[in-house]
Amino acid sequence: MASQNKRIAKELAECTTSPPAGITITLPNDSDLHRWHVTLAGPDNTVYAGGQFGLIVTLPVDYPFRAPVVTFATRIYHPNVTNDSLGNVCLGPLKAENWKPSTRLAGVLEAVRALLVEPQPDDPLEARIADEFRQDRAEFEKNARAYVVRYAKGPVKFDAAVGAAAAGAEAAGGAATGAAVVRP
Amino acid sequence: MADDDVDFDNPRDVELSSLSAIYPEIQQLLPDDPYAITLDVPVHPSKAVTVYFPATATDDAPVATGLAPPPPQGAAGAVDSHELAYLPSVHLEITFGPEYPAEQPPRVVISTTPPWIPDGTIKRLEEDAARLWEDMGRDIVGFTYIDHIQQAADGLFELVDGKGSLEVDPRHKIAILDYDIQARKAAFEKETFDCGVCLEPKKGSACHRMLDCGHVFCVACLQDFYNSAIKEGDITAVKCLTPDCAKDRAKGTKSSGKKRKKPRTFINPSELLQIPLDQETVKRYVTLKYKVELESDKNTIYCPRQWCNGAARSKKHKKPQGFNLAETSDDSASDDDDDNDDNADRPEGEVGSKPYKPDDELLAICEECAFAFCSRCHQSWHGEFFRCIPRRDKQELTADELASLEYMRLHSTPCPTCGVPAQKTHGCNHMICSRCQSHFCYLCSSWLDPGNPYQHFNEAPDGRITGCYMRLWELEEGDGDGAGHGFAGGAGGAAVAPPPRVVAIEDLIPIIEEPDDAEDVIAAAAAPPLEPPVNGAQQVGIAREGPLVLRIAANQPAAAGRGGPRGRQPAAGGGAAVPGGIIPPAVPQPPGPARGGGPAARGPRAAAQRGARNRGRGGGNAGLAQRLNQNHHPHNNQLPINNNNPGGRPHAPLARPRHADPHNVAGDDGGGGGGEAGLAPAHEEWVRHFVQLALNDMEGGSDDEEF
Repeated sequence: MASQNKRIAKELAECTTSPPAGITITLPNDSDLHRWHVTLAGPDNTVYAGGQFGLIVTLPVDYPFRAPVVTFATRIYHPNVTNDSLGNVCLGPLKAENWKPSTRLAGVLEAVRALLVEPQPDDPLEARIADEFRQDRAEFEKNARAYVVRYAKGPVKFDAAVGAAAAGAEAAGGAATGAAVVRP
Repeated sequence: MADDDVDFDNPRDVELSSLSAIYPEIQQLLPDDPYAITLDVPVHPSKAVTVYFPATATDDAPVATGLAPPPPQGAAGAVDSHELAYLPSVHLEITFGPEYPAEQPPRVVISTTPPWIPDGTIKRLEEDAARLWEDMGRDIVGFTYIDHIQQAADGLFELVDGKGSLEVDPRHKIAILDYDIQARKAAFEKETFDCGVCLEPKKGSACHRMLDCGHVFCVACLQDFYNSAIKEGDITAVKCLTPDCAKDRAKGTKSSGKKRKKPRTFINPSELLQIPLDQETVKRYVTLKYKVELESDKNTIYCPRQWCNGAARSKKHKKPQGFNLAETSDDSASDDDDDNDDNADRPEGEVGSKPYKPDDELLAICEECAFAFCSRCHQSWHGEFFRCIPRRDKQELTADELASLEYMRLHSTPCPTCGVPAQKTHGCNHMICSRCQSHFCYLCSSWLDPGNPYQHFNEAPDGRITGCYMRLWELEEGDGDGAGHGFAGGAGGAAVAPPPRVVAIEDLIPIIEEPDDAEDVIAAAAAPPLEPPVNGAQQVGIAREGPLVLRIAANQPAAAGRGGPRGRQPAAGGGAAVPGGIIPPAVPQPPGPARGGGPAARGPRAAAQRGARNRGRGGGNAGLAQRLNQNHHPHNNQLPINNNNPGGRPHAPLARPRHADPHNVAGDDGGGGGGEAGLAPAHEEWVRHFVQLALNDMEGGSDDEEF
């Protein structure tokens, strides 16, 4: 336990001192290392540019032996993020069967950012959006931009989704945590 | 050697003191001679060298026997080569005599354990001491010489051949490989690594390098992770903790063009023990791994003993022994033993030589309780020559099998005599069983009198009719996919779930109204209401057999022309019986109506009832059709029923009492034509033929093909 907290502290220090591009990290509660609030700036040259997306990273008690849970606190129009208040993300390395303890959170956050740069419509959480992304890119971009304007402008509000995310994490709990988030 | 002992006038003392400052590992060779020193010079080439050991016959026990000098290059083809980073160090013994350095060169003895350097090279190296001493102008040469040896060692004493590999006597193989491992380990333990899990820098001695991929993690993290994974049964997690490790390795091997199919991802139990994990945990890992493997293999056969349920031995999945995952195990000997024990009463000639193996894998032996059983029927082992029937539940039938069964239920009729399912491909409903030559009706499976089979489809002389009256040509195109639904005949017709009654009734109506366009369902809308059925049972009869009447009506002109001549050509018109390819175990019985014997294990009683129902329906239908005909006669006087039934009497009331005794129906059906009185020669012959068939059946044992 102690060594795990040490690792988390280390990772947090690393991420705050030299954060990945466009990412800032805060702890909502200084005494709780297992809950991170991450603000991700929509990458330039994407439909999400100009938006500020809140991510909630929840580290399980036995992190790094189990995958962290990453959810969007800000609504986003994206094939790999559920279009609801839960904001679940489909991220390969976070799937329970893919998770390796030596995966770093910085890498995970980079992967989330990469997902905004390049959505993966072949592995979607929102099939409809994925279809739209593939078949009617203009419409997809229009919708995504509309979401950015509507939800992702101004300071990120983590609270809106906190209740839902916390409930989700609790319900999913223990062993199923990773899987519950990865796939609907 | 303390500084104050040094006599600065004695060049030997000066040299020794500086040498021991440079090489602190220098030791005195003999306690009483300070001028004899020993030193080990490591042989650690900057790049790992390929060492190969020419194969010899005495590969395994060479040192013990001491004989057998290695064959000179003879077996160059069979090479056993290894990449080594460390070779056994060179042991130097240098004696600086009293006349050294002025008059005498140092005396040098070089050795290695094992002696992997050829004698010639050793000699040359030893002589280098004197040569260097001369070169230096007969001055102190100690450091120069040791450095010279060190450089020679780094260059592997020029022993590496043109192909960049070093040949070593195979007698020293084990020792040399072992030395390499030890040296690598020592070097590893001196290093420092950043564990990828706890992100702490750890000394090599607290780390473990994964054997397959070389990634390094600290022992504490590996133990934590693997212990919890094994405890929770998450066996698949027990692999290298680096993301995409196996994938990257797969890429690596692919690009390097090596032939290895797939890099191994799971960790060998022996490696887990090295980390180290508890023996208990590793044992659990081995057991779970074996279980998972068995469960993922559909072909795994489990012991039929309820209290055991162990898996049968299989070549693919060996039961782990101890900590070994038993990828190669030689259990064959004990296998044979078990065979003999459990099958002492098997037919002779089988146990030892096994000359004939129809089904290689029939014999299964439980891993747990050593019970020998048949993998097909799950009974205790009965020898290879016993033809057994798989013990399977209905639920275990595959989708294909179920579909076949269903098809047969819908589209075949069992022979009343031998029960073989027959499917009509074309022709009339008088069938002759291809197996036992019985004559039977395809619609109701009744046995027919071979002398006058068509009686069944006609009116008996006494005016009685059967349910199949007038239905000789139903399903003329055969009983196949398209047919059968509205068809009440056939073996399974009666068992079909309630048919679409309403539609059938609607279909029925148009014939009456518009015989020329009888099958046009659209016309149904304009149809007048049907005369209310007499009772529920009859309604069913009408509904289900309506389309059949309709079919006759639709083909009306042809049917009218056909009715006579076909009826008079019994043999030519016989329906072609196609054996279903599936022959249920048949015990020959005399032809009888109650003989259901179907593969679906329908009881004789059920068959009889079915027959009765069919007939009842047919009878009711005939009567109804009759009535309809009469009703509409003014509009349509060409209905074939009319042609063939000039009497025009309603037969339903007549048919009814006969159903009360279904067991008697066959007699009525078959003997209706009066053939019961005595056996005509043709009949006698047929009976004899049948008895012969029955006898053959008994002798040949039952054909036990199953579904």
